[in-house]
Amino acid sequence: MGLMTSRPRVTPPNMVPRTPASEAGTASSPRPSTTLVQITASSWREAHAAAIHSGGRFAGLYAVGPDDTTGNNPANRDRTGTTIRSVFAFGDQVKVLSARAVPTQAVEMRRAGTSVAGTSGIGRTLPSIVDILPAAAWDEREAHDLYEVDFPGHVPMRPLISHSDDLGSWTVPVVGAGTHQVAVGPIHAGVIESGHFRFHVVGERVLHLDLRLFYNHRGLERAAVGAPLDTGLAIIQRACGACAVSNTLAFTQACEEVLGLWPDAALSTQRTILVELERLYNHLNDIGAMCAGIGFAPGTMAFAALKERAQRLIGRLAGHRFMFGTVHIAKGAFSPTRGETREARLELLSIKEQSARSWREVLFNTSVQNRVTAVGILDHASAERFGAVGPAARASGIPLDTRSHSPRLDYGELQPPSPVDPTGDVAARMAVRAAELETTLALLDALLARDLHDAAAGAITEGSPIGVGVVESPRGATTCIVESDGTTIQRLHLRTASYANWPAVAHATAGNLLPDFPLVNKSFELCYACSDR
Amino acid sequence: MFVLLRQLHSTRKSARVTRPARRLSLAVRHVDAGSCNACEHELGATANLFYDLSCHGITITASPRHADVLLITGAITRRMVTPLLSAYRAMPEPRLVAALGNCAMGLGVLGDDRDLAGPLEQLLPVDIRIPGCPPTPDQIIQALVSSNLAGQAITSA
Repeated sequence: MGLMTSRPRVTPPNMVPRTPASEAGTASSPRPSTTLVQITASSWREAHAAAIHSGGRFAGLYAVGPDDTTGNNPANRDRTGTTIRSVFAFGDQVKVLSARAVPTQAVEMRRAGTSVAGTSGIGRTLPSIVDILPAAAWDEREAHDLYEVDFPGHVPMRPLISHSDDLGSWTVPVVGAGTHQVAVGPIHAGVIESGHFRFHVVGERVLHLDLRLFYNHRGLERAAVGAPLDTGLAIIQRACGACAVSNTLAFTQACEEVLGLWPDAALSTQRTILVELERLYNHLNDIGAMCAGIGFAPGTMAFAALKERAQRLIGRLAGHRFMFGTVHIAKGAFSPTRGETREARLELLSIKEQSARSWREVLFNTSVQNRVTAVGILDHASAERFGAVGPAARASGIPLDTRSHSPRLDYGELQPPSPVDPTGDVAARMAVRAAELETTLALLDALLARDLHDAAAGAITEGSPIGVGVVESPRGATTCIVESDGTTIQRLHLRTASYANWPAVAHATAGNLLPDFPLVNKSFELCYACSDR
Repeated sequence: MFVLLRQLHSTRKSARVTRPARRLSLAVRHVDAGSCNACEHELGATANLFYDLSCHGITITASPRHADVLLITGAITRRMVTPLLSAYRAMPEPRLVAALGNCAMGLGVLGDDRDLAGPLEQLLPVDIRIPGCPPTPDQIIQALVSSNLAGQAITSA
């Protein structure tokens, strides 16, 4: 209604989103995808520069070795085993760079007298890569907090997972006439997860935002060490309710790589349906949440009702409103009957009509568009710099969607919709989700018509000591790394899209009004639980 | 916007929400003390027009100072103990504590002992238990309504 101030920002999605590869009876050809490259600490930075130069996309950095909390045990004080690994995705191929961290004392000696602050001789050191790869900043801080690895060059090294009482240790000093801090959380006014935000403001204008998350850190990765693979699956499922399918799927794919397995056509179709159902209810939720962020109640209620319908449908189809227990290693646990899939497709058609109609009301409502345009801008260069993923990255003009190269899933030749007007603001992130909803609904309609029975995974290789699964969650590329001998887990690392995007939220908030933060935050709609783990 | 309002009207009619005969009041403050966010989604869903939490007289309040019930989700992490106890202390008496979901009830908790503070029961007196992983919006409303009608909120802690 009213004057049209904005035009549709997104190209119509490709309505024939896939070629029916699995219909012809041949799933994507199986091939091993992860390569582990051992390098030395001295060539660490060089190797990263080369990986970035050759088009690799950073997908996480993590430490392997004894962690800090075992420090009381003298046996664990020897950190000779600490290794840092860095994951890069080249399309559907994954390269893991691995280097042993050097004992800090040795580094100190080489530096001839220049001591590294805070080291007691038990620490380990590896040169920082944050100057060439800013997206790795949180990863290095996490490895520093949990594994006591020093990264010379990463200055200041602020705590990320460790919570210090010293405000100065984790906030950026912002000084000047009229500047002050506004502290929010960890408990928020609504029904929201826990996290602390510290805004540095002048008047109502946010100059800078420091995040302190990890209130929900449950030590899930640590709990998985030494556990059987199936326990790892339960742990990963618990990481986040709203990304349960994406996270468990990334874990399962990593495990299957470790075991040398490849899903058959029915299994990859089942899993693709599950992850798209997850995207469906999340995107409906997120558009509703953005309407709530500007106080547009009819939009909030309409999309909340659509999300409820989607979740009821999911509950009937998969037996659980969040699809818990539907993803397993090497087997399928989702086999609705023909009648159920027929009913689901009809309901999806109705959801599609109502969501398209509701979206038009939001898109052509002048007051809504005025509130979401040019707010919370994440420009293209910053999105690249922070390594943003998912709808947030696409809204900033980065045409990155893991679904276009997911051979273990049934996406065929999917061409994800690309935004015409990737302005990187709240409006663009909203529009990207609305366009993706159409693609997801079209995909689901096509996939639910397929045969889903007798799903299994077959052996293709002898297996590998490390497996990496990358899945496009509703929030973007989620990476799960499993290091295992095939029965127990030696190291489990989950780097979700939320973890990748949180620094971008802080960046997009700066310069905006403080009361707009909920809107900016909801436009990314990141999880705290799967970042905190 | 009229299209939306019309759509909401028909969805609401199709939802067939029954209005309770007795309606009391209950103000709830939610605290996530280490949840996976599924309980939050379902608690949030109680406000949608298929459930309409407010028609039972139950509201989610922004401040613990206005709350009758502290509704806690999640395995209790060490980092959330202090904020959780501060919220409890900020509440006026009489007050109730509700454990929402299996984690808060201490069932099947996953994680590392070094990061978890142990069962909620050891930190606060739990009056209402709502099992489920996660409990559905119906179950959440049912538990809050029945505890309310049973008059639990009358007694002072």
